[in-house]
Amino acid sequence: MTRYLNLYWYFLIQRLKVLMEYRANFILGASSTIVWQASSIAAVWVVMQKVSNLNGWNYDEVLLIYGLVTLSKSINHMFADNLWTLGRQYIRSGGFDRFLVRPIDPLFHLLADRFCQDGIGNFLVGMTLVIKSSIDLGIDWTPPRLLMLIVGVVSGGLIFIALNLITCVTAFWIVDSVPITRLVFDNHLFAQYPLSIYPKVINILLTWIIPYGFASFYPASYVLNRAAGDIAWLGPFVAALLLFLGYRFWQFGLKYYSGTGT
Amino acid sequence: MQTARRDLSIYGAFIGMMPKVFMAYQVWFWVGLVLNIISMAILVYFWRAIYNDTGTISGLGLNQTLTYILLAFIFMPLTSIDVVWEIGSNLREGTIIHHLLRPINFQGMNYAQSLGILGMRLLLQLPMAVVAVLLFGLRFPADLSTWLAFLVSALLGFTVMFFFNWFLACLTFYTTEIWGLGVLIEGMSFFLSGSLVPLVMMPEWIRTIVLSIPFAQALAVPVSLLTGITPLTEAPRVWLVQVLWILGMWLASSLFFKVAVRKITVQGG
Repeated sequence: MTRYLNLYWYFLIQRLKVLMEYRANFILGASSTIVWQASSIAAVWVVMQKVSNLNGWNYDEVLLIYGLVTLSKSINHMFADNLWTLGRQYIRSGGFDRFLVRPIDPLFHLLADRFCQDGIGNFLVGMTLVIKSSIDLGIDWTPPRLLMLIVGVVSGGLIFIALNLITCVTAFWIVDSVPITRLVFDNHLFAQYPLSIYPKVINILLTWIIPYGFASFYPASYVLNRAAGDIAWLGPFVAALLLFLGYRFWQFGLKYYSGTGT
Repeated sequence: MQTARRDLSIYGAFIGMMPKVFMAYQVWFWVGLVLNIISMAILVYFWRAIYNDTGTISGLGLNQTLTYILLAFIFMPLTSIDVVWEIGSNLREGTIIHHLLRPINFQGMNYAQSLGILGMRLLLQLPMAVVAVLLFGLRFPADLSTWLAFLVSALLGFTVMFFFNWFLACLTFYTTEIWGLGVLIEGMSFFLSGSLVPLVMMPEWIRTIVLSIPFAQALAVPVSLLTGITPLTEAPRVWLVQVLWILGMWLASSLFFKVAVRKITVQGG
């Protein structure tokens, strides 16, 4: 374990050296995500100036939900973005074989190979939203609530990573896995708003099948003393189960993998 | 006979490749459709929840707002920034030299191309129009003169955006950084074009900002005509404003281009 932590550190240092060579890109990458998020939030702000109630949630409560899912997403974006490129950049080019001959876990190698700086933008947006909304809502951060905040964000981040892992493993068969990953990943957009505004089908989907709800709606409900809040404690178990499935599927895919001949 | 067979196998491989390329695009077509449905569904349910216990917001009822949002979604290609990417990649690859040497107007050529791309993109939005009608109950306006007013305004607005994008694209002569600039413009246009909220709902000071930069001319202005938020009698005034925008942006972009092109540094090529 410490060996892997040390290794990750070395990979990170190397990556930062590369990033510092292209400083303008570094800043643009992080700020471009901020502009996109700002557009969506501006729209919510404008509308909720007129009507301050989105199915029983006020503006700051919506921001808390939005901020939590953005924080979870940023964990995935910073530390596991390389899953997206498994097929396109590593399998297609044959570069993946490099991982297989090294004495470390290939999945670890893939993840550590590229820390994605663009995720910092999402992290800052998420942090700002959570802090801003919790101050304006006057949330009393009791130990259970604080614990829930951390549990929600971390298990949310792991759910993002696990779902991307499961879908990206298909690259071992079809090489380009990006369309499939996108199909699942984009469902997190639902979780930017209270799940209660959607029909039942979407609620079930976002809770039990593509469970991004555990990244935002349920932890926020707990922190705000809402009815659906207690289910949020299931988050870590859901995340663990998905990660387990993802890792087994990865090992299965690895067994199948034979290179593209490049 | 030998060579003929060899040729056949070589060129046959190229023929065989095309369905794969096509399939790759086809996969993205279907995936894109689902992703668009997700985005559209979020917008629709968000607005329905907002209208839960109120009849009208800034004079707009739920149906009118939803019609506006769905039509803005469908006509989003009016705000696309292909010119920026086009000039950017021309600069990066150095092909811009050949274009500048040709005895035709470089800007005119690009405008024609953009119109072609716009047509394609609008055609590709047809499935989303069907989805909007079937899943989300969109009803297209039936009045012919409304459509005519919209079409004129859409074409004018698209032209405004073309010159505005041209102006922004000239910045790449100085920065040689295209990707970041493009993403930044797209992100801003997401809100400023009025694709997410009808302009009438915006607070006065935001509306002033939105109307003093060009994005809304290409989307919010024509779509407001189409949905009847802007009454038809206002159409000539709307067109006039757009024509003034075109003149201004055309002048500014041509001048900037003349200055910027002297700075040209092609990155290898």
